[in-house]
Amino acid sequence: MKDFIEKFAEAIEVEDVAALTAETKFHDLDEWSSLSVMLTIAFFDEEYDKQIGEKDIRESETIQDLYNIATA
Amino acid sequence: MFNPFSLNEKTILITGASSGIGRQCAIACSNMGARIIAVARNTERLQETLSQLKGEGHSCYSIELSNCDDIKSLVAKIVNENGKLDGIICAAGIERTMPAKLLTPADYEEVFRINTVSAFELVSQATTVKYFNAGGSVVLISSITSLIARQGTAAYSASKGAMVSGARVLAAELSKRKIRVNCISPGTILTPLMQNFLDTLNEDDYKKRTSGFPLGLGKPEDVANASIYLLSDASRWVTGQNFVIDGGFTIQ
Ligand SMILES: NC(=O)c1ccc[n+]([C@@H]2O[C@H](COP(=O)([O-])OP(=O)(O)OC[C@H]3O[C@@H](n4cnc5c(N)ncnc54)[C@H](O)[C@@H]3O)[C@@H](O)[C@H]2O)c1
Repeated sequence: MKDFIEKFAEAIEVEDVAALTAETKFHDLDEWSSLSVMLTIAFFDEEYDKQIGEKDIRESETIQDLYNIATA
Repeated sequence: MFNPFSLNEKTILITGASSGIGRQCAIACSNMGARIIAVARNTERLQETLSQLKGEGHSCYSIELSNCDDIKSLVAKIVNENGKLDGIICAAGIERTMPAKLLTPADYEEVFRINTVSAFELVSQATTVKYFNAGGSVVLISSITSLIARQGTAAYSASKGAMVSGARVLAAELSKRKIRVNCISPGTILTPLMQNFLDTLNEDDYKKRTSGFPLGLGKPEDVANASIYLLSDASRWVTGQNFVIDGGFTIQ
């Protein structure tokens, strides 16, 4: 999980990784924008070879939710 | 009747005429009396544009503009079959919305090739003494992203900004023959494709993407009407400009 959070933070350009936990609601982060959706889709593709859609991201609330998709 | 915006007796070549803004420009110019040469990729959709034009003598040609080497021979063929040109509108274009972090050199090259390089190649091939009447006019469809930042459009904005700065040089070089070159920079125009795109956005993103226009979103007609002015003799003393048509977006 720690590894996932670090990589995710890097993908969406969040400096303060320490502030992120599995429970963080990523949609509420200051750094989150409509472009982050594309960055996250690219991150899943590159790191996990998983093709996810905007819908998956919209329906996820916490970083844990994303982790679950990545490891599913 | 006195009409300084008449395009009677003018032959106008329009790229991107199979859809959206280019198609509406073709319709509008034909309404003002012009003979239209509609250019784009898809012949079927070009035919559909022709069927919406007023008057006689219009024609269409299919080309893949990213093959810039094909432009020279196409221009020769067009002039051979239709006579000399009086105007050009370059409305063909693509967008690639992505955070700059994800854009590759190949993305930049493709966007530049279609939006900018092909337009400049067309203008330089078509505005020769042999192919273009003195006093004619060229209109390049840029975008307000040539002036303002819209996130996710680094390649597109750069290609549109390059159009605006290149157009000034073309305008200076072609002024000897009283040929004018201007850009139109539209804000968000509700073309069918733009409408489809907006329909995919959630409520928040939709609001963000469509707000900031004091006069609301634009219609293809708003750009087409500006192109009539820039192609007509009414604008004979206007060249090298970037005409912003954006419902007031960039004033605030
Ligand atoms: N719609 C807007 O809100 C808006 C705003 C500002 C600027 N613009 C610009 O206006 C122009 C027209 O946009 P639109 O919204 O009507 O787009 P559109 O997608 O409806 O039409 C694009 C046209 O370009 C042609 N085209 C694209 N790639 C081509 C290629 N490789 N070879 C040949 N033809 C090709 C297509 O065939 C089509 O006719 C574009 O340059 C766009 O950047 C649009």
